[in-house]
Amino acid sequence: MVHHVMGVDGSYPLLIVLWLLPLVGAILCWAFGPQLKRLAGPLGSAMIGASFVATLLLWGAGTQTANGALGAHQSLGSWLPGFDFGLLLDPLSLLWTCIITGVGFLIHVYSIGYMEGDNAFARFFAYLNFFVFAMLTLVLSDNFIGLLVGWGLVGLASYFLIGFWFFKPSAVAAARKAFVINVAGDVGIMMAIFIIVASVHSISFGDAFAFAGSYGTTALFAICLCLFIGAAAKSAQIPLHTWLPDAMEGPTPVSALIHAATMVTAGVYLVARCAPLWSQNGNAQVLVATIGGLTALIGAILGTAQWDIKRILAYSTMSQIGYMIMGVGVGAYEGGVAHFFTHAFFKAQLFLGSGIIIHALANEQDVRRMGGLRKKMPFAFLAMGTGVLAIMGIPGFSGFFSKDQVIYGALAHGYPWLYALGIVTAGITAYYMCRMLFVTFFGEYRGDVDPSSLGIRHPELAGTPHGDDAHGHDEHHGTNWFLTVPVAILIIPTVFIGWVMFGGENSPWSHFFAQQFPHPTLAVPALSEGMTAIITLVVVLIGIGIAYMRYATAPALSGAVERLRIESVKMPGVLTNAFYFDAALDLLFVRTSQWLGDAIGRFVDPHVIDGAVREVAFSATWFGALVRSLQTGLLRAYALFLVFGVACFIIYYAVVASGAH
Amino acid sequence: MDLMSVPIGNYVALSSVIFFIGVAGVLTRRNPLIMLMSIELMFNAANLLFMAFARVWVHNAGHIFAFLVITVAAAEAAIGLAIVVAVFRSAKHVDVDDVALMKG
Amino acid sequence: MLAVVMLASAIWCITATRPVYSVVALLLHFAALAAMYLTLNAEFLAVIQLIVYSGAILILFLFVIALLSSGVAPFAVGPDRIPRIVYPALALVAIALGFITYALSRTTALATPTGTAGGNLGPTGLADVFGSVGDFGKALFTSYLLPFEITALILMVAVIGVILLAGDQTPYVPSCKQASENRRDMREAVLRGGD
Repeated sequence: MVHHVMGVDGSYPLLIVLWLLPLVGAILCWAFGPQLKRLAGPLGSAMIGASFVATLLLWGAGTQTANGALGAHQSLGSWLPGFDFGLLLDPLSLLWTCIITGVGFLIHVYSIGYMEGDNAFARFFAYLNFFVFAMLTLVLSDNFIGLLVGWGLVGLASYFLIGFWFFKPSAVAAARKAFVINVAGDVGIMMAIFIIVASVHSISFGDAFAFAGSYGTTALFAICLCLFIGAAAKSAQIPLHTWLPDAMEGPTPVSALIHAATMVTAGVYLVARCAPLWSQNGNAQVLVATIGGLTALIGAILGTAQWDIKRILAYSTMSQIGYMIMGVGVGAYEGGVAHFFTHAFFKAQLFLGSGIIIHALANEQDVRRMGGLRKKMPFAFLAMGTGVLAIMGIPGFSGFFSKDQVIYGALAHGYPWLYALGIVTAGITAYYMCRMLFVTFFGEYRGDVDPSSLGIRHPELAGTPHGDDAHGHDEHHGTNWFLTVPVAILIIPTVFIGWVMFGGENSPWSHFFAQQFPHPTLAVPALSEGMTAIITLVVVLIGIGIAYMRYATAPALSGAVERLRIESVKMPGVLTNAFYFDAALDLLFVRTSQWLGDAIGRFVDPHVIDGAVREVAFSATWFGALVRSLQTGLLRAYALFLVFGVACFIIYYAVVASGAH
Repeated sequence: MDLMSVPIGNYVALSSVIFFIGVAGVLTRRNPLIMLMSIELMFNAANLLFMAFARVWVHNAGHIFAFLVITVAAAEAAIGLAIVVAVFRSAKHVDVDDVALMKG
Repeated sequence: MLAVVMLASAIWCITATRPVYSVVALLLHFAALAAMYLTLNAEFLAVIQLIVYSGAILILFLFVIALLSSGVAPFAVGPDRIPRIVYPALALVAIALGFITYALSRTTALATPTGTAGGNLGPTGLADVFGSVGDFGKALFTSYLLPFEITALILMVAVIGVILLAGDQTPYVPSCKQASENRRDMREAVLRGGD
């Protein structure tokens, strides 16, 4: 059997170093945490930084082409025939690795400042490094099993990090919820692997994709469906999205790294990686794109109803990933991946910026208690502002280019309803991001106002504990360089990185991915790309306008307290309960499994299982009693048994004898 | 009456019936002496069969064997009676069911 | 007709109320059996049957009946404790035997056993004829000598066994005077009420 290898086979020790350095960092921080104390931070950051440097050094290897092979392939050995493990660095994984290590490095540095004073400082960096290692395993594997291993490990890392402050029951519950939903996705991927192995007898991408035309429609659709279940779970698509808002219980750097820039994009990576499979099956593409579009819309709608700054960002993440999924679902792989690229920057920017605010306000996360921070924290305003402009897709900023590619791609590949949905969602995105901006940064500071008059029902739940943090209320301490420098660095790509995509077919972006993805010839759609941009811009401006009218006009600002209170009280139940997804899942799965467990515990366990054991004992006793009853001591009874035996003998021999004759 | 005008099957049937009567006697009666007598009946049924087949095949092994059976039966009867005497020497009633010493 | 007598006497034997009646029935049975042996050219065995079986063994039975003074005693009291299964078991045995009978009676060709050749038939009473004393003796002391010796051993074992089981348990005493003194002591002990 010919073994197809994607990528130029060779020896790339730097690749292995890149991959394993974060693991080394994690082990060191784990093992020597108490000894390292504050040094764990720089150590972890250095590991990731070194990985980033290694990635840049491998740029050439990652984009090389030779004999139809794209990228670099490092074989890691073969377990069984067909089970060959290795690392693959092609443009797609190279891009992901850059983001993971680059943005990861910045977030590590940020965490040194953010987690300062926390008791478990070293443990945090150990987990963060472990996460980076797991994510690298995911994107660098050249086979499905490696992907699955990385998949599971990032889920585990996410569990560790969401529940980092394990003394908070809400954090523990959120971690568990995230992990359980992720495991459901893992099962999907496993099923897909089973089908692939059964068809191709190999786990490597190369073999699986080379065979793409010959799976048969049902098998291919099943593979795609199962893979997408995994992708949906990991990337918080409907209906497996409920874990993402709750995952904001983790520290803000965690939210930035895992739940904005990298882990949740693993689903996008998976679909993009398996592009050859999806290209063969139109039904699967429709499924993926539709769910992506729906998620984008619902995420945006729910984002308009949130009061926790991190939750707003969480729903916006969900919505933007919906865009990405929609992009790779319709077949606009470059567009979807482009949006991932820009989103990583501006979402990390937004999260880290909000982290600055949260850190300064002593763990206050409710936007109703913020306000007027434009004057008090100008740097934060700058950071958040650029992020918001990028996410809205204002022309010139990075988000504009990528979002446009996705929306236009939907139209170009023949999904006009998704095109319309994308535009509408862009408008809603603009609305709720500006809402957040206005409520947080404009007007007067509301931190001193009594919480109930703002409509906050559970003031005691506001904010997260921060170890033995010693910041007092309202204290805006001196500039913490660890916090500000990464954010400042991130402003640059947030604003400018989109320009690599400028130029359509001739842009550096397109060249980068020229050989990665299939490029079918498409019919020219009705609306050109330029028209699309204008329509989108109009809708976005409408969204900004509505937000402005509600939150930023002079009367709105002066009566902010009253406004916010009324809005909180009058928020429709549907929105506050997130379209009842949580309730539905709870009823369907949690309740039923609890009921099942209860029933088994009440009926099966005592009666069937214990009953079986008791029956064994009882039957032993009964049999003994039976045999004992034979020992009567009666002579005649014994004679009877003798006779009985003789009779049986006689009959047996008579039958056998007559049979023999 | 000398020659074999009676088919062998009759002898087999007769022998089995007497044997069966002996078995019934052993199982049904409670007097040990009558049990022993029933055992003698069974011996004789077997002897009859031996003799009959010895005649059919004109072979005196059957005679020899029957002779030995008689001898052994005598010895066994003697010992059986000795046991009965030993057990029931001072008993009021002669009933095997009372002697349930082998119980347990 | 002999068969009828045999059957009737057998049934009477096992169903008789008094043991002595059983002995009588058995005697009748043995007589009929001896007669049947005569019809089978086995005169020696017939005589042996009468002498040993009915002469010795049945007399032994009578002695024991007399010894246990249960000769005229009625049935022992008490419920019949045999398990219910006796009747099905009896039925089973009956079926088994019937089956064998049937099977054997249907076989036309019965193979003759190998080994010592069959003797010659002849009228009853002649010497060295099949079933006569001479023929029997010749076989017994030549071909079947080993079983004969073993039988002697069995008889010896039987005698020893009987003595041990039912014999007098009084210990051996050297002289008659000693024996009578022992007897006097035992009598006094019994009269005193002890032992």
